[in-house]
Amino acid sequence: MSEQSKDLSDPSFAAEAPSSEAQSSPGVPGGVPPSATLAEPQSPPLGPTAAPQAAQPPQAPIEEVDPKALLEAAEEGRAHQAPSAAQPGPAPPAPAQLVQKAHELMWYVLVKDQKKMIIWFPDMVKDVIGSYKKWCRSILRRTSLILARVFGLHLRLTSLHTMEFALVKALEPEELDRVALSNRMPMTGLLLMILSLIYVKGRGARESAVWNVLRILGLRPWKKHSTFGDVRKLITEEFVQQNYLKYQRVPYVEPPEYEFFWGSRASREITKMQIMEFLARVFKKDPQAWPSRYREALEEARALREANPAAHCPRNSVSED
Amino acid sequence: MQGSARRTGVMTDVHRRFLQLLMTHGVLEEWDVKRMQKHCYKVHDRNATVDKLEDFINNINSVLESLYIEIKRGVTEDDGRPIYALVNLATTSVSKMATDFAENELDLFRKALELIIDSESGFASSTNILNLVDQLKGKKMKKKEAELVLQKFVQNKWLIEKEGEFTLHGRAILEMEQYIRETYPDSVKICNICHSLLIQGQSCETCGIRMHLPCVAKYFRSNAEPRCPHCNDYWPHEIPEVFDPEKEREPGISKSNRKSLRSRRH
Repeated sequence: MSEQSKDLSDPSFAAEAPSSEAQSSPGVPGGVPPSATLAEPQSPPLGPTAAPQAAQPPQAPIEEVDPKALLEAAEEGRAHQAPSAAQPGPAPPAPAQLVQKAHELMWYVLVKDQKKMIIWFPDMVKDVIGSYKKWCRSILRRTSLILARVFGLHLRLTSLHTMEFALVKALEPEELDRVALSNRMPMTGLLLMILSLIYVKGRGARESAVWNVLRILGLRPWKKHSTFGDVRKLITEEFVQQNYLKYQRVPYVEPPEYEFFWGSRASREITKMQIMEFLARVFKKDPQAWPSRYREALEEARALREANPAAHCPRNSVSED
Repeated sequence: MQGSARRTGVMTDVHRRFLQLLMTHGVLEEWDVKRMQKHCYKVHDRNATVDKLEDFINNINSVLESLYIEIKRGVTEDDGRPIYALVNLATTSVSKMATDFAENELDLFRKALELIIDSESGFASSTNILNLVDQLKGKKMKKKEAELVLQKFVQNKWLIEKEGEFTLHGRAILEMEQYIRETYPDSVKICNICHSLLIQGQSCETCGIRMHLPCVAKYFRSNAEPRCPHCNDYWPHEIPEVFDPEKEREPGISKSNRKSLRSRRH
């Protein structure tokens, strides 16, 4: 997709007026010149941070050892050494700087999630954490804390293997807020329509079937829509790219036909019960009007409850909550 | 962070859900925001009285203050509809775009932004933007490609297109006002009434001061003889109507007569 512009990985930062170590002040530390990615691509972006020559190094910011295989794998440096050991590298940053990094990371994660982009750990390090890699753990932990307390979101490691994170809602009850918001069909309504069609069919949905359904909403493959734009591109490319749908050729069929399946991300983020609720709302029926599907949804809900009693198992979570 | 219960502002699940939803949607109109607020109360605190929106948001903002983010309220420049977005104050908002766009695409936006700010009308023509395609940093971009990128900006609500010309979306203004004012201090225009950044507006032909269309509407409301607040000369433009949320059932659809508000050639 988009190449990360070089500036984002530039770890050095323009020196601000001497350090904002007094982190008790609630206001923004000084006027913040937006060192802009736009303005000078050469100059360091991503916010005002005092150069890492803090007034005096505070007690070692290395938090107690937190054996997350992920972080050890991704970190090159040895994070367990005291920073003052004979080692070329920046002096430990003031707590305020770590806090600031945590805030940047928080925003980064929120935006990535908003854009439905993958939150990839190496990207987080490259784009935000930069030279503070050694303190990555504590930064991550603080970010998770903030996200949980302020936004009610869990920053969850969804796959150690691919080093992907996801922002998961941590509020009860889980609900389809999107559907509550608007009478018009937003993007997610469109997606849910297709997902529920696939679900109800119990197997892949042929493209022709999907268009039959979308036609009811006034959407045609050849017509540009005022909200969705090129609908066909949206469902066959964008949703696929975001892993919400799979779009595959039906084997052994000539002329070629394609069908849709749930994508991995849909399976992760959307429960069968949510689909049932969506169907109930759209068709103004009781979810039990689709009895076998409803049973499946109940099964899944029960399995989920048993797997995650209160919080995710510690292995996968970087959140304190 | 030293704890979320600061001396001002307490976050409950109502507020958290609200924040989540606002973040998910990027930018929302006021009527959507009010519905969303009610929805959040319904989910988490059915029996509580719904706070006045302004107080509700101020409460949240007092908690967000230490994170250098804020729920900002703005007003669309063409027809005065109130909009809300969660914006990052600490870093330039372009870093928000930067996760989405390649280097040459960002540069295209930058070029378009400069043209828009420098223009008299607040609009930059597609032709003029595309003519700058050769000067872009990063990978070489053809004009055809640039047209698609401009459409991407429109879809992501950074730009608005009207009749082949581009201006900034209200969301972009909300997010980037600070950055724009600091980066283009000489060419930036300011509204004489509200003192905020001005991209589209009306200007006095005598003394040159400018006002947003919604600001003009409010200032000259029921004034039979509108005069420039600065030089007192007769105000030569059509006075638009003040936005009335009751009348606007479908705020997304701009009425055709609003297009005439663009006509104030200096």
